[in-house]
Amino acid sequence: MHIVLVGANHRSCPIEIRERLAFRTEQLAAAYVSLQEDLGLSEALILSTCNRVEIYASTPLLDGTISRLSSFLSHHGGVQQDHLLPRLYTYTEPDSVQHLFAVASGLDSMVLGEAEILHQVKHAYELARLHGTTGKVLNVLFQKALNAGKTVRANTAIGHGCVSVGTVAIELAQKIFGDLRPYTVLLVGAGKIGELTLKRLAARGVSKVRIVNRSQGRAQELAALYGGTAYGLASLDLQLLDADIVITSTACPSFLVSRPQLVSLMPQRRLRPLCLIDLGVPRNIDPASGELENVYLFDIDDLQGLVDHHHEQRRQAVCESQAILEEKVNRFLAWWNKEHDQCARSPLAPVAVP
Amino acid sequence: MMVLLHMTCSLLSYVAFLIAFLAGLLFLIQERQLKHKHMGVLFHRLPALRTLDRLNFIAIGMGFCLLSLGVVFGVWGARALLGDWWRWDPKETLTLALWGSYLVLWLVRLRATLRGRKVALLSVLGFTLVLFTFLGVSRWLPTWHAYL
Repeated sequence: MHIVLVGANHRSCPIEIRERLAFRTEQLAAAYVSLQEDLGLSEALILSTCNRVEIYASTPLLDGTISRLSSFLSHHGGVQQDHLLPRLYTYTEPDSVQHLFAVASGLDSMVLGEAEILHQVKHAYELARLHGTTGKVLNVLFQKALNAGKTVRANTAIGHGCVSVGTVAIELAQKIFGDLRPYTVLLVGAGKIGELTLKRLAARGVSKVRIVNRSQGRAQELAALYGGTAYGLASLDLQLLDADIVITSTACPSFLVSRPQLVSLMPQRRLRPLCLIDLGVPRNIDPASGELENVYLFDIDDLQGLVDHHHEQRRQAVCESQAILEEKVNRFLAWWNKEHDQCARSPLAPVAVP
Repeated sequence: MMVLLHMTCSLLSYVAFLIAFLAGLLFLIQERQLKHKHMGVLFHRLPALRTLDRLNFIAIGMGFCLLSLGVVFGVWGARALLGDWWRWDPKETLTLALWGSYLVLWLVRLRATLRGRKVALLSVLGFTLVLFTFLGVSRWLPTWHAYL
């Protein structure tokens, strides 16, 4: 028996081809029927995400399986074989097993250590089971891969820390306030990252949203989108009295919020903590404001610095993660050898995960 | 009975002040990391500043109430056992100072005259007075209240 993988990811294949190879959920039924009946595969699983399309299969003999799977993908995506083949990777065991375990752990993701892939692998496995295309080998393989992914995430820093400016800003706000839902967010300006950060806050249940913008029309547009209230720039001081989290994202050449302004506002706020996220370049908030008690100021450089720091932490966690995966891959291979090594084939030696 | 109530309330108040001390200490650590934008090893493990601030405030309040009860029961017990309400013994005096300090701290926090870092710092410093009152007085000053 062999465990075969044919696929393409963000490193091997550009988005223009990847998007054609991708499988929508409604296409899976026909695809699995084709894999079973036309390619004669009793066990197959399609993993299709925005960054990869992979087909895992268990087959008694290799016997051209890989080239048939490549043709299958070529036909599905409407991409010429000679154009597609250099962009595909193909593995058999043990590399196919190692690859899956690394994918489930987030080690092969575009954003190292991202959590979404584990859910995507689980979802793909559940769909394949629903279509009856998994058997003993793929069931055990994917269950072990999901377990390996959870173990790596629980025992290493591979998934720690946020790796985008918007999510880092939210993490910092949460470190100050905890649950953000009772708090008031004030967005000043209509910059893209500011809006994205507001969107993420809204997704976390923040409902008290105020938008201040020079253009009332744009402020009202955003307010309607996020269930907030729009105000003109003239009411900024008043809004600063009530807001707990302030996100500024304007192209204004001078400071919109100054230290002397906050010195007089903070006692009126009863010294309630104020989280200021300045996404503007040039800066919208006087950097000296961050020196005040109970005022926490983060500019774009601070946020990017934290993102870089988190990226570095994740990179440092790779070795530790690979050590865990090596042990889990070898354990799976030991099971696989025991199940299928009887006479014709020599057992596979334990592997060192590179 | 009064003595037992006095001891229980006093000890429980010290526990509350210890909690306030720990919450204050963690607040200072977390706050420093946020102010310096340096996310150390503890950063992900520490609760939010608001949580620590609330815990500190509640612990100070509870500690103050328990200490008040402890003092009342102690005064009552002293009258019953020794015939005196108050002897201005070093332990008694320091306990009064402790009571007054935490009253002031609790009030300034309640009125938001001070908040956040300063309150956390005072909670940490206040606990040194607790330690001295609880442990130090008996060793270093003459007191009829010695029990250690």
